[in-house]
Amino acid sequence: MSMSLSLAQSRPPIPDARAPDAPAAVVTPFPIKVQIRNVGFHYGTFHALKNISLPLYDRKVTAFIGPSGCGKSTLLRILNRIYELYPNQVASGEVLVDGENILAPGLDLNVVRAKIGMVFQKPTPFPMSIHDNIAFGIKLYHRPSKSELDDRVEDALKRAALWDEVKDKLRQSGLGLSGGQQQRLCIARAIAVAPEILLLDEPASALDPISTQRIEELISELKADYCIAIVTHNMQQAARSSDYTAFMYLGELIEFDETEKIFTHPRVRRTEDYITGRFG
Amino acid sequence: MAAEHIIKSYDEELSRLSKIIVEMGGYAESQLAASLDAVGRRDSALAVQIIEGDTQVDDLERELDNLAIRLLALRQPMARDLREIFVALKIGSDLERICDYAANVAKRSIALSQIPPIQPMHALPRMAHLALRLIKDVIDAYVAHDADKALAVWRADEELDEMYASLFRELLTYMMEDPRNIGASTHLLFMAKNIERIGDHATNIAENLYYLVHGTALTETRPKGDKSSLEVVAPDAAPGR
Repeated sequence: MSMSLSLAQSRPPIPDARAPDAPAAVVTPFPIKVQIRNVGFHYGTFHALKNISLPLYDRKVTAFIGPSGCGKSTLLRILNRIYELYPNQVASGEVLVDGENILAPGLDLNVVRAKIGMVFQKPTPFPMSIHDNIAFGIKLYHRPSKSELDDRVEDALKRAALWDEVKDKLRQSGLGLSGGQQQRLCIARAIAVAPEILLLDEPASALDPISTQRIEELISELKADYCIAIVTHNMQQAARSSDYTAFMYLGELIEFDETEKIFTHPRVRRTEDYITGRFG
Repeated sequence: MAAEHIIKSYDEELSRLSKIIVEMGGYAESQLAASLDAVGRRDSALAVQIIEGDTQVDDLERELDNLAIRLLALRQPMARDLREIFVALKIGSDLERICDYAANVAKRSIALSQIPPIQPMHALPRMAHLALRLIKDVIDAYVAHDADKALAVWRADEELDEMYASLFRELLTYMMEDPRNIGASTHLLFMAKNIERIGDHATNIAENLYYLVHGTALTETRPKGDKSSLEVVAPDAAPGR
């Protein structure tokens, strides 16, 4: 296994310009938002993830690629503890979000999930109006006034690049939107609660090319504010949308590096075989 | 060599790409060897044949370019495959230039065959044989994806540079001795320069091959044996003054 987990740390230190008289401080250009450390996972007796360690940098997009069953979606499910909804699923290791281990028992799951938004492969709008789809999540955590709620709904829809298409039909059902619009509605719903991390599990795999490009453009805009992890089977999408790429195989992390390196000159033969379509 | 692609037609297209390179390489060798024959035998008919034959390599280069563009657009290659196609395009262009230089040697041999041979002619075949070896070796290295062999070509070009520099000095002296030598010497000088440039293109190919195999550029500085562009001969150094 070959990994370069200290990418950010290996960059030259930048002196702290704000305090010229103080001793030079070391600033990491891309702070680590999530540190996944020695994470393992079992579905019953099946060992689905083995000793995974890697960072997710803040305001960067990290793509997870690998063949079906390699554990990439499982890893995403660990990051917001969705797996706990199911019996016999056990995670080990640590997932440090801003230094706090979210796998630790006793942690308030609602707080974890407010920080971490997730969007799934199939658009999952609630059977309610477009407005209420967004408002629902906000009202779970806050009690805003009506005008404040409307503002936040509008803001989320604008940031998800959906506002112009739905502003005149906010009271219509979310289920009446096209697949691409539904997916952007789900992204709007996720960002409406002001999370810090966005997890996207094959968000464009059911969409046509134009909708896919809209989602990719949205990802590139959203990364200014969030730490984003995306699972995708589409290699070109990983190459286009992400800053870092992790290649997983049979529950192991095979290689993690800057996306440009993974797709032009990966260091591990198995990664190269996979991305060039030589995987037997 | 790398394992096969799941999609077999992708392998077939990449294999066609390298076959075109090998074909162009073989063509470059035969054009240069024939040019050398044309010079040695003062055979203008052969020279014309070489010049006319140059269009064949242009056709091959066009086929290579079209195939590479098609592969880039339709296969969206990554990693080694991407380098394979990118490098093939660059090597194709180097080989096309090599053939141009070989044709230029042939073209000048027609003029040269109309005047009596001059003494420094003997150096040209030696240079051409070395250039031929460089082309052959670098194409062999390409076929085997052998970066070490490519490096050997890259280093060996220094010898060709030195031969050219030496011939350059010899021709200068020769021209200064008797202005009647200037016509033949100038043609010979250009022919030698063409062969020296062929060596440079062989080293370009070697550098690209190194990148293909290792994924990183060769950063070492290449040894240079040709300092002729810096040489000055003062008029009062000419014999008879």
